[in-house]
Amino acid sequence: MYSRRVLERSLPRWPGPSAAKKLISSLTAVLLTLFCLSAQADDPKVTVANTFIDVHTGPGRGYPVFYIIEKDEEITLEKRRTDWIKVTTRRGKSGWIHIDNLAHTQDASGQVPDIAAATQDDYLERRWEIGFATGDFDGADALSLNAGFRFTEHLTADLRLSQNTGQFSDSQILSVGLMHQPFPEWRVSPYFRLGTGQIRIEPSATLVEAEDREDNLFQTSLGTYVYLTRRFFLRLDATQHQILTSRDTNEEVIEWQIGFNVYF
Amino acid sequence: MANRFQRLLLGLALAGSAPLAVAQDDGPLGDIVGPDEERRSLSERDLDTENFEFGVFYGLMSVEDFGSNDIAGASLSYHVSEDFFLQANYGITETRETSYELLSGAVELLTEDQREYTYYNLSLGYNFLPGQIYLSENWSFNTSAYVIGGAGNTEFAGQEYFTYNLGAGFKLFATDWLAFDLGMRGHVFTHELFGREVEVNNLEARLGVSVFF
Repeated sequence: MYSRRVLERSLPRWPGPSAAKKLISSLTAVLLTLFCLSAQADDPKVTVANTFIDVHTGPGRGYPVFYIIEKDEEITLEKRRTDWIKVTTRRGKSGWIHIDNLAHTQDASGQVPDIAAATQDDYLERRWEIGFATGDFDGADALSLNAGFRFTEHLTADLRLSQNTGQFSDSQILSVGLMHQPFPEWRVSPYFRLGTGQIRIEPSATLVEAEDREDNLFQTSLGTYVYLTRRFFLRLDATQHQILTSRDTNEEVIEWQIGFNVYF
Repeated sequence: MANRFQRLLLGLALAGSAPLAVAQDDGPLGDIVGPDEERRSLSERDLDTENFEFGVFYGLMSVEDFGSNDIAGASLSYHVSEDFFLQANYGITETRETSYELLSGAVELLTEDQREYTYYNLSLGYNFLPGQIYLSENWSFNTSAYVIGGAGNTEFAGQEYFTYNLGAGFKLFATDWLAFDLGMRGHVFTHELFGREVEVNNLEARLGVSVFF
């Protein structure tokens, strides 16, 4: 009897509609919707002007070259993934060419397509950026997500959401801020940021029976963007948090972060 | 009289020249020097980009001391370049009784709600070993391997734990936009559920399917 109970417990459980299964079915529905949205028509055509172009089997330099498009051959541009463009030739050959090759093509009006790999200069014209960072929040491990909207080359408004997991308490911070980059065109571009938001602190349940508390805070940050490649930046950040507690004194916490940002 | 004659001639000359000017616009030159609005070169807006990837996965996760159980989740990736991608993951599983609970028979360390184990993370991945596999002489699929690592949060036993993850996987592209993924992830965090601080590495093996959009 006892051994049967142990056996029953140790056998894998296949519950009916478990949380996991529900998640799977709802996500499959999302997948199908995305598939329907991806259908496209009216793809642009270009003609190879003055050289030949290697066609790879996949969107990467490591995928083998299986076809070469010759001069004066017309190709249809289907879609783009990172720096690769899927093309179809008149003979129905389909593969991927590197975006730099478009400089050797002409569209129907005889002009070179204005489609090129992203550079640091493009960053100055783009509006949106998103990224994540990890670091240290006064001994707690911090993980944060940020999204920014650029008004001008120098000014960005951003939203930061972070989760700090510590030994004695966990906390979440939601803040909005304004960031100033005096030299946005530099490869290593420093910034200064002022922010305000709210922190929610949850003491560890195993240690003390304390209540969650919410406080307002101000943030002052110094940091720098380091342009890596394409749309990709490394971000280093030091933020001083001035937490306005309900007690007599305010708390001051310094947070260090390292993260990655991409712009759109 | 002469004055009137001059006026008539002038009038005739003007009337005659007017259609000439109009004719010039319609002439063969008009087609070449057409309106400029049509001459727009192809731009990035004309091309559909597919840098995002959404996937679901299902697999087995072994939670140290709490048994191996099925796990399901979702991931969203953004491909920055052919080499690098950013990925957010969310997974959910139900853990089982520890060996101690099983043997003692009556002791329950966690409540039913606390046994639910969820995690999320933000990771950076690197694609390598791109290639093809052949099912027959003329039928092949693109493949790629990747390594991935990042940080996130695990919620388990009523607590949250800062969690590092490291993993690797193999991807098979059924089409340009549909990929199958076989991966392993290790989720490392420190807990004090049994009184003493222990570092655990919860291994997850998963099979996923994803679409690019």
